[in-house]
Amino acid sequence: MTTVARPASTTGGRRLSAALFRRPRLRLAALLLLPTTWLVLVYLSALLALLATAFFSVDEFTNEVVRTFTLQNVQDVLSDPAYRYATLRTVGIAAAVTVLCTLLGFPMAFFMAKVAPPRRRGLLVALVVTPLWASYLVKIYAWQAMVQPETGVLAWLLAPFGLDGPGYGVAATILTLTYLWLPYMILPVYAGLDRMPDSLLDASGDLGARPGRTVRSVVVPLVYPSIVAGSVFTFSLSLGDYITVQIVGGRTQMLGNIVYQNYTSSLPFAAAIALIPVVIMVIYLALVRRTGALDNL
Amino acid sequence: MAFGLAFIYVPLGVIVINSFNASTVFAWPPKEFTTHWWSATFGNQSVRSAVLTSIEVGVVATVVALVLGTLLAFALGRYTFFGRHTVSLLVVLPIALPGIVTALAFRTGFRTFLGLELSIWTVAIAHATFCIVVVYNNVLARLRRTGTSPEEASMDLGADTFTTFRLVTFPLLRGAMVAGALLAFGLSFDEIVVTLFTAPPGVTTLPIWIFQNLSRPNQGPVVNVVAAVLVLASIIPIYLSQKVAGESTGGGRI
Repeated sequence: MTTVARPASTTGGRRLSAALFRRPRLRLAALLLLPTTWLVLVYLSALLALLATAFFSVDEFTNEVVRTFTLQNVQDVLSDPAYRYATLRTVGIAAAVTVLCTLLGFPMAFFMAKVAPPRRRGLLVALVVTPLWASYLVKIYAWQAMVQPETGVLAWLLAPFGLDGPGYGVAATILTLTYLWLPYMILPVYAGLDRMPDSLLDASGDLGARPGRTVRSVVVPLVYPSIVAGSVFTFSLSLGDYITVQIVGGRTQMLGNIVYQNYTSSLPFAAAIALIPVVIMVIYLALVRRTGALDNL
Repeated sequence: MAFGLAFIYVPLGVIVINSFNASTVFAWPPKEFTTHWWSATFGNQSVRSAVLTSIEVGVVATVVALVLGTLLAFALGRYTFFGRHTVSLLVVLPIALPGIVTALAFRTGFRTFLGLELSIWTVAIAHATFCIVVVYNNVLARLRRTGTSPEEASMDLGADTFTTFRLVTFPLLRGAMVAGALLAFGLSFDEIVVTLFTAPPGVTTLPIWIFQNLSRPNQGPVVNVVAAVLVLASIIPIYLSQKVAGESTGGGRI
């Protein structure tokens, strides 16, 4: 890959090729050199810089980051109850989104993999995947139109029942995030169900289980790793979102928008806040590691 | 299923219908329809330049991601080595970590660690980094499916490493690489979470333009049309990637 393919007849190319063939380690090194350099230099260093910055301070006059070690930012974040509430709210929203995505996504994935006729499955997958490519921002904008108080679509739909739409706030944020990340739940669960042989359902039925029991005792345990794999996405993506909550969240504060509001004035403080979702994700990943779900990512 | 699909498609339908709404203020249901805003949008200079910026960033990011992702797929798909799992984790991490973390990390890394001024290039570098994973996933899946026997056969017939690559390996992978590149471009074109943190003022990609204009009432109708175009355009990459890669890349974005 790294070397330009030459006509095989040139002896130089032939010799190089033979040399490479005899040295698999050299080939591997050649393959790895560029991508790992990039990832380490651009990404890993960025993560480390973020971690380090959380312990730096800011010069009050110039607004520049000063590279002296301080625990001040972390202390500020930990001691102020406002940030504790924001953390709890963010985790709560992310958990609610994950639960909703599972409740909505599992039946859809089940229908796609086991109920729909096989020739329709490709179409259904395409129908679920296509909205992934509709712009993220546009989808949030669509939900702004849906939930808008009084003039929104939901308000219009619910008006005959004497109800009003949800308006902006936590509920609208949860709805929108569920909408955004639903395909990330459906696809792994669909893949998991697709791998599961249909005969297991028949066997369970033959042994006298009703459909509910079959789902509970056979299907769910088998696709559990896939559900967890999906939840890693729904949870992580919700945890780090700051645009949705700005557009449909009203005055709701999530960790993401606290970072967004502070990164220009105090990068170290924003970095300290950003470490919270990292810690939460590390805990979450450690918890789900045992299910084997991470191999499905 | 019907309820689920309705949940997925009703909001998108609202966007498309609303782009023909004659009123400048959103109210459902629309009272009057017009195509005036559609023509106004296509002549809009700021929209055009935002689209161009997005394409520039997308192309650079895609090319870098294509090269690096393919190299990584070969390294991890064909070899076992110490640290293999670490490398594969490092590839997924940019999209597995919460968006705000990746975004702020890039900004901090560029400004304080690498000492770069933010520019259109920093946006492209950041985009390339999280696009690697989609190319990697596609190429790796194809490498696993084809196995090594076609290449071994080619070598047995006397072709050297490069000839084999040119005549056997690359043609086998081409579909997956194109699909990966399309997915990467789509991902970059749509990205805002990281873009907002890595773009200097003045570099306006299309998502940034939408974000800035969402709250400006007089731009409302133009935003509506741009949104509708993006909804309709989302069919293109899916259609293309299904066509070039066959049935199995539907979820390639993950």
